[in-house]
Amino acid sequence: MTAPLERPAATPLEVRLGMGSCGIANGAEPVWEALRSGAREAGREGVVKAVGCGGSCHREPLVEVVAGEDRSLYTHVTPEMVPVILRRHVVPRGWPARLRWAARRLRDPEEPRPESGPRSLGARIVLENCGEIDPRSLEEYRRRGGYAALEACLDPARRDGVIATLTESGLRGRGGAGFPTGRKWALARRQPAPKYVVCNGDEGDPGAFMDRLVLESDPHRVVEGLAIAALAVGAEEGFFYIRSEYPQAVRRIAEALRQAEAGGFLGDDVRGSGERLRLAVREGAGAFVCGEETALIASLEGRRGMPRLRPPYPVESGFRGRPTVVNNVETLANVPWILRHGAAAFARLGSAGSKGTKVFALAGKVRHGGLVEVAMGITVARIVEELGGGVAPGRRFKAVLLGGPSGGCLPAELAHTPVDFEALARTGAIMGSGGLVVLDDRDCMVDIARYFLRFTCGESCGKCTFCRIGTRRMLEILDRLCEGEGRQGDLEALAELADRVGRTSLCGLGQTAPNPVLTALRYFRDEFEAHLHERRCPAGKCAALVTYTINDRCIGCTLCAQACPVDAIAYRPYEIHEIDDAACVRCDACREACLDDAVEVH
Amino acid sequence: MSARRGPGRWLRPLAAVSGGLVVVLTALLIADGVAERLRVARESDRFEALEQAVLSDASRAEELAGEREVQTARTMARQERNRAFAWTLLAASAAFLAAVEGGRLLGAPGAARPASAGPQGEALVQLRPPRAVAAGPPAAAGAEPELAFVDEVVAARGASREAAIPILQALQNHYRYLPEAALRRVCELTESTPAEIAGVASFYARFRRTPVGAHLVQVCQGTACHVAGSGPVLDELRRRLEIPPGSDSDVGLRFTLDPVNCLGCCSLAPVMMVDDRVAGRLTPTSACQALAAAEAGP
Repeated sequence: MTAPLERPAATPLEVRLGMGSCGIANGAEPVWEALRSGAREAGREGVVKAVGCGGSCHREPLVEVVAGEDRSLYTHVTPEMVPVILRRHVVPRGWPARLRWAARRLRDPEEPRPESGPRSLGARIVLENCGEIDPRSLEEYRRRGGYAALEACLDPARRDGVIATLTESGLRGRGGAGFPTGRKWALARRQPAPKYVVCNGDEGDPGAFMDRLVLESDPHRVVEGLAIAALAVGAEEGFFYIRSEYPQAVRRIAEALRQAEAGGFLGDDVRGSGERLRLAVREGAGAFVCGEETALIASLEGRRGMPRLRPPYPVESGFRGRPTVVNNVETLANVPWILRHGAAAFARLGSAGSKGTKVFALAGKVRHGGLVEVAMGITVARIVEELGGGVAPGRRFKAVLLGGPSGGCLPAELAHTPVDFEALARTGAIMGSGGLVVLDDRDCMVDIARYFLRFTCGESCGKCTFCRIGTRRMLEILDRLCEGEGRQGDLEALAELADRVGRTSLCGLGQTAPNPVLTALRYFRDEFEAHLHERRCPAGKCAALVTYTINDRCIGCTLCAQACPVDAIAYRPYEIHEIDDAACVRCDACREACLDDAVEVH
Repeated sequence: MSARRGPGRWLRPLAAVSGGLVVVLTALLIADGVAERLRVARESDRFEALEQAVLSDASRAEELAGEREVQTARTMARQERNRAFAWTLLAASAAFLAAVEGGRLLGAPGAARPASAGPQGEALVQLRPPRAVAAGPPAAAGAEPELAFVDEVVAARGASREAAIPILQALQNHYRYLPEAALRRVCELTESTPAEIAGVASFYARFRRTPVGAHLVQVCQGTACHVAGSGPVLDELRRRLEIPPGSDSDVGLRFTLDPVNCLGCCSLAPVMMVDDRVAGRLTPTSACQALAAAEAGP
């Protein structure tokens, strides 16, 4: 099974359009219609294909024309651009159509020009098929080596080898904690049946969307991963727990399960081996804490999603009190690749303690947001600068937020830290699920700390006192600081509460809730002190601490006066405008409207 | 469009006819006035000449009386005619005004739109809650919801405790919130106790216990959206919709604002979802425009 499968034969000609939910949000649907009607006109309906998202979310809608090894990528495609693209690449069927297209091509503009292909640093493992295949086609997934690993696992003699291969590969859980997957499966395998496997698709970190993208763009890969997990640990039943905010992901997985069942990869007799395997989808209901495995299991059982004390760990007693393996989407997406290519190929990538690749959701003030897959060990700075294109011109890269509400901030000075579970933990941030939000000099760290704390405070299930009340007290302090009403001793109280909340909470939510505050305090204490002592927000973000004024670059165009929702700017054409500070609600509409940078925030 | 087929169908011809009538009558009145002036000048000359003649020749008195008779009759007839014209003119202008105004009133929701498509441009100004709700939710506030659906769902999903969340999700998809009566029915039909159902329904953020407006607006509050300015977007929407503090819907129950944790479209931040449509790269202004567009309908 370690023999690498050969690459699928070169595709003849394909015109692919990314139709993930990000693509659709960017307007892919009219482009799809244009592609279809254009292809129909040429008599070549077969060449157009709706694929998932390849990760370049910032330049969608994205059309990629693949002919053998040649790839041309068109970005920000509009329906008007589609005929030009098609005429350039597609040869229509029949002479009349050919002549017609050739005649029109003479008048086609030079634009749009194709751009370079998808970005990545290192191998693409998890995103291997994303943006390449039609997520609704089982056939296509199989053509690219799909379900081969599952079929190999059906041989009982090889099943032990699965766990050994995973252990050897060094794959660690991608949900955040980084527990070795092989060891988890080995523990579950020793437990008595019945057992369960669960795919954790409750991607709660606000700012991370890699699980959504993989579920939408390559659902069969995750189905195969979970099926292999079930076979390896000896479970006959499994669940996909997917958050309800991702309707397309839920639909795609349900469809993939139906296809896999029809293809004999699931059901009462998997590929004639006599194995029984049933997988089902469950939708979450909007609770961040359900990303924690014991809370997730409580939710599957139809209860309030509250975590419980571990041990016993779910591998011993989980769903319905039975041994349960809970794995993250990205972890499972790695499994088929590892089994196809062998443990050594996976372990070659990455650093000493962290093997393989990691997918990051790059967002925030970075110029090219989207999904990037990097080999472990690459520095955060390279991700931000090379893959993300850095921050906007004129702005300064200030920090990245890693791991969402459980993580912390990593200041620009430490951006040379490699992407590695241990190295990141040493800085106080964590790898987390892979949300990577870039901040620039206009972002206030006190505001960010307050944002995350408001999040965890709202999402705390209420079981542990310090998490329930302690986070609220911390939030009150941060609210005071942002309102300019900080008191002497607030920062000390904040640090002490943070310490207590972290030490006395049962689950990961409470234990890690103070991380954003602690790292912000550690690396940006001066900003906290400016809020406290000088009643000033250095980044100009905290509404109560800033004033909006208009400088003499104003040309009196009245755009700001028209934009102001509270009429705080008098409508006086051709005069320098003035903002009535008492009426101003700091909505930023005037600065947004101004074409001459005349609105200043202090 | 349907307004065209109803009373709106004859409004346009009526306006045309009455408008034409107004023009014609006004012209007639003016012409008549001018003709009258000429006639009076001519006839008074003739009358004076006759009067002079009668002074010297009494036998012509008969002729003078006849002339007076004829002239008086003519003047009376003119006055009669003018009165009739004036009344018709008044009636025609009233009909014209009514037709035009009525067309505008009737036409506003349906008929006038196709002509002035593209309402996104200036439309947002009127996001205030004047008119009654156009299309309310299927089971709007007050009305007792039909509960047969609950029985169907429970029959399909089973009565075990484990099915509680899928059942509530199905109910919420159907009713768009969780009505008290439906929850009580779930308790009757399944193993779950009222305490368990209340616990689950209040724990998860997706479950609503109050009716939802005609349009559900999910405003993303994820990290990327926060740093990109989702806060001001939400504030501005609340301000424009005049949503009272402590509530999430406007008074007319047209829009419900639902801040959600993350919609997973971080590269489009700030993002919101109006019903099923994602709107990205929002500013406070464009967010209001997106709502106005949603209200105008697809």
